[in-house]
Amino acid sequence: MNLSLHQTHINTVSWLLAEWAHAIDDDRVERIAELMREDGRYTVSSRFNVDRGLPLAIIDAHSAAQLRDRIRSMRVANIYQPQHYRHVVSAIQVIGQTETGLLQVRSSFAVFRTLVTTGDSLFFAGGRCDDLVDLEADEPRFARRHMIFDSRAVETLMIIPI
Amino acid sequence: MQTDPSPPADAASSAVPASLAPSASVRHRTWPSEGYRRAPYWVYTDLELYALEQQRIFRGRAWHYVGLEAEVPEPGNFKTTFIGDTPVILTRAADGSLHVVVNRCAHRGNLVCREPFGTSTRLYCVYHAWSYTLEGDLSHAAFSQGLRGEGGLPDDFNKSLHGLRKLRVDTLCGLVFASFSSDMEPLDSWLGEVGAGIRRVLNRPLKVLGYDTQRIHANWKTYHENPRDSYHANILHTFYGTFGLSRQSQESAMTLDRSGRHVYFYTKAGTEKKSSDYDSTASQLRSHNDQMKLEDPSILRWHDEFGDGISVQILNAYPSFVLHQIANSLATRQLIPRGVAQCDLVWTYLGFADEDEATTRTRLNQTNLAGSAGLVSVEDAAVCEMMQRAFADGEEGASFIEMGGKTLESGGSSKLSERAIRNFWHVYRQDMGL
Repeated sequence: MNLSLHQTHINTVSWLLAEWAHAIDDDRVERIAELMREDGRYTVSSRFNVDRGLPLAIIDAHSAAQLRDRIRSMRVANIYQPQHYRHVVSAIQVIGQTETGLLQVRSSFAVFRTLVTTGDSLFFAGGRCDDLVDLEADEPRFARRHMIFDSRAVETLMIIPI
Repeated sequence: MQTDPSPPADAASSAVPASLAPSASVRHRTWPSEGYRRAPYWVYTDLELYALEQQRIFRGRAWHYVGLEAEVPEPGNFKTTFIGDTPVILTRAADGSLHVVVNRCAHRGNLVCREPFGTSTRLYCVYHAWSYTLEGDLSHAAFSQGLRGEGGLPDDFNKSLHGLRKLRVDTLCGLVFASFSSDMEPLDSWLGEVGAGIRRVLNRPLKVLGYDTQRIHANWKTYHENPRDSYHANILHTFYGTFGLSRQSQESAMTLDRSGRHVYFYTKAGTEKKSSDYDSTASQLRSHNDQMKLEDPSILRWHDEFGDGISVQILNAYPSFVLHQIANSLATRQLIPRGVAQCDLVWTYLGFADEDEATTRTRLNQTNLAGSAGLVSVEDAAVCEMMQRAFADGEEGASFIEMGGKTLESGGSSKLSERAIRNFWHVYRQDMGL
């Protein structure tokens, strides 16, 4: 591991991870599509599948456009119990750089979900992120965001992206 | 393929005849006089009834889906799962035969297999090293002869009477079902006319693409009714209607087996414009929302792989199995009750063993439409939980199930009908003696 690479980029990368989390938690979910490259990919998989080499993901947006479609469907079409999230992000490390200059970043996350009807705040999902971050534009952006949740089961449903 | 192992001594007594009177604990319950046109809300909340369901349905006379042949392809492979509350193991023995046994040591009741999947030459209990063959027969018990003439099992101990509890096994198109009942008709006969819906989709060897388990905080029957309910599909699920995957005015049909236990329905995409009642039906649906356009509709691109124009087929086998084809997304869904107000819905996504990579990619992309984060059907789990909340203690009220008519036949093959739900309650009451 290249410690100086980490030290050089940790502030930028932390800002990007925090911006993603706050955008969702503050109900500015549309913002996360701006934090992704147009040709970027956002995937949510269970560790159960990843550990077994199974390709299935419960969310797999192959472009920022597909992520915008998912968020729009959430806003205008889908029906679910009113809810919001709180992300806790930690253990952020810049662990390498690809040949094209993308930073390889890993982190841990926990998401607590509050169900408005009952008022409960409950642990919803926790796991790790394997990301590729692009520094070329004015703002850092994700070229790849892969969130791998540890649980085998999803509590009820995942309608708001994590 | 069907295996019929000679049952251990206690197997025959487990299947409770449906004609038995209700147990004392539910005797104070009275079903509404309208019969299967009503479902009293206590049926979703009563703890004693839940225990009775385990006995009469899950350990009773029914075939239960436990997995796929493709999940245990090689001799020695095993998978652990549940039938109702009971943990079971699906194994493939050295001779290639399939077996399902209760995952509970015959000695002191410990869990024998702890991994979701695995490969082994035997089933081994860690507590006292009792070990079993892949067929479930006891092969060894540690220190069964004692040591230095002391301890050990009694002289009359008969290993053949202390195996794992064996279930009957039957398969259809790579699906594996098991039953606690020793007098089940073959799976194919049990499914009757609905077996055609399975044969239509699962027409060659399968491969597993992955799993998605949804934990739903509602009684298992709220979910069981949902895929039988073709009435709600285009009303609750707005994504469908908006993007033309399915509208009520599209060509569609529903088929029940003769017993009324099982049902499947299908819709053909691209047929709605030809229908003369398109405008009148579309305008009545909240789901018809022309303002919503996808920026990237590639997620909806599908090919008619079975050559019959059917874009959606949902098949529900009583009491705990669903097979779906949503465009090119194929999956089984196994319903596992987890107490009276909770259940797990395990989605196993499939492709065919011989398909090319591009086809598999299409299926994987369409997973965005189904399952616990599925744009098309994410509402189902939410509705089950909202219903459970509204039933509250279940002491009063009943659901009204007369869409399409009042009898088991009325509604015919129309999707705008609750015929399949009336039939569910009819067989449920028979099985439960209610």
